[in-house]
Amino acid sequence: MIARGARLVLVGCLLGAIAGPVRAQARLTQDEVLALAFPNAASIDRKTAFLSEVERKRAERAAGEGARVAQNVVTFYLAVDVRGAPIGVAYFDAHIVRTLDEVLMIVVGLDDAIRRIDVVRFSEPPEYEASDRWLETIVGKSLNEELSLKGDVVNITGASLTARAVVRASRRALALHAVIEPFAEAR
Amino acid sequence: MIRQPMMLVVLLACVSFSAARSQQSDSARLAELEKQVEALTRELERLRLGEDVAVSVDTSVLGFAPAASKVYRIARGVSLGGYGEVLYERFADTRQDGAPSGRTDQLDALRAVLYVGYKFDDRWLFNSEIEVEHAATGQAGSVSMEFAYVDFRPSDAFGLRAGLVLIPMGIVNELHEPTTFMTTERPETERRIIPTTWREGGVGIFGEAGSFSYRAFLVNGLDGAGGGSANAGGFSASGLRGGRQKGSKAVVEDLSVVGRVDFEAQPGLRVGASGYVGESGQNNPTGGVGGTIGARTILTEGHVDWLFKGLSLRGLAALAFVDDVAELNAFRGLTGNESIGERMHGWYVEGSYDVLRSATTNHQLRPVVRFEQVNTQSRVPSGFSADPANDLDVLTFGAVWKPITNLIFKADYQVRSNGARTESDQLNLAVGYVF
Repeated sequence: MIARGARLVLVGCLLGAIAGPVRAQARLTQDEVLALAFPNAASIDRKTAFLSEVERKRAERAAGEGARVAQNVVTFYLAVDVRGAPIGVAYFDAHIVRTLDEVLMIVVGLDDAIRRIDVVRFSEPPEYEASDRWLETIVGKSLNEELSLKGDVVNITGASLTARAVVRASRRALALHAVIEPFAEAR
Repeated sequence: MIRQPMMLVVLLACVSFSAARSQQSDSARLAELEKQVEALTRELERLRLGEDVAVSVDTSVLGFAPAASKVYRIARGVSLGGYGEVLYERFADTRQDGAPSGRTDQLDALRAVLYVGYKFDDRWLFNSEIEVEHAATGQAGSVSMEFAYVDFRPSDAFGLRAGLVLIPMGIVNELHEPTTFMTTERPETERRIIPTTWREGGVGIFGEAGSFSYRAFLVNGLDGAGGGSANAGGFSASGLRGGRQKGSKAVVEDLSVVGRVDFEAQPGLRVGASGYVGESGQNNPTGGVGGTIGARTILTEGHVDWLFKGLSLRGLAALAFVDDVAELNAFRGLTGNESIGERMHGWYVEGSYDVLRSATTNHQLRPVVRFEQVNTQSRVPSGFSADPANDLDVLTFGAVWKPITNLIFKADYQVRSNGARTESDQLNLAVGYVF
């Protein structure tokens, strides 16, 4: 029995050792993840919006779902094509999941909907991290009642705090986006 | 007459020269201010996101190229978490057959748990769960390590785990925080047949690839005979629970293998199965013939867990077989209907729905219902009989309220019945937290 069990584990180790690429091992930096999000951009411009207190509160109200907007200074990254026309904007959101932090890059498209979410840092144990497949369920969502764990977003069994944190970050990014209007000049 | 225009020209030239100098000075100051604002916003961003994220690609660490130095930039450190639950049970005065139940109502600080982990880097981490059960070790309580392991995770597809590990079987054994199951008490099937919280010492592999995830471990076997250095109780007529050694000076004369595969058909829908095989005799002697008890134990289960909109459905079926039960019975002095089951089975289905899903509130209010059947003596060896009291049906219905994700309040009623008509119903109230 011992020999058979050990053989099974050994075979598993060998199969595992030759399998799959790394996701958890080496996180990407801001520059790298931006380059992944906008491979065809002629440039990605770092911009900063300075919100008045009224604007900050407006964003917090719009975010709802318990998503606090605590910053008056918002840095975002506007990607433009060769003609200088915007193709998307990325926001970086840092927040606490359980007791440790997570940083997400949330990309918003010209239709003001989420186009992409990347986990840039996840400090909690990896079993609590949202899978790429789950994150994809948020892509395409706008700032409305469907972007909610009570709406179209399914909870994650055993990692509901992560699901809540990602939903709140997404709503916060979209609410700030609505206040900042980074595509306004192009429209 | 000529001198006046000349003076005017000279004066104008002086003024424009002075204005130009002033303009140059203003634009320089403006550029300096812009530079300062840029520096401040970058500093702010670095503080908010952390240096490992906000670092520029042209930065390298300790002389390595940027890509090679990524592993040194990850966040490290201690992680803390926890959960707990307090349970009140009020038992019916009478049993199914009308006789007094004799059970006293109780309120129990069932468990308070602290997670402590340490992330050495993104490949190596330590994780542990320390549990205080029943509040006071001086009375009915105890303090246990529910798990304590080291992970090496070079990729998502493959990781190694070693230490005191949770046995990857069923739904509740690995996900046993009170906010993850909707009834006050864990299912009987996942207590008697899959003995939650089941942990043993061992080593194994885990990972995920696409929609599949897996775990496989080599662990110390259960102690079916009981009484070894771990002081396990041994298997009994009510199931495998007493065979757990919990990593406490566990006897390792027999090893076991356990494996699990889950398939996520879509986000929220998980289907999986697991199996466990190993001998549980732990080198204890058979009566009279000089050999040792084998007691091969095979445990299998299949489960499904589905979250859709406000609906939550889950179900599980488990089947267990134990060999050499007559020898285990003899070793343990079990006779008649006290026999350990040669075969055990159990299953349950559970559903709940958030009736506040359409309301403009983050609160959840979920009516919940679960039905289960479990029989820990569905087959016993010849010369023994099954106790119909171990053929149990439980219907649980009630409701939970989650004001926030981290808190849950539960109330339910259990209609319990067994073949011997000795069960009594009970009302349960519980509060649970997780952080």
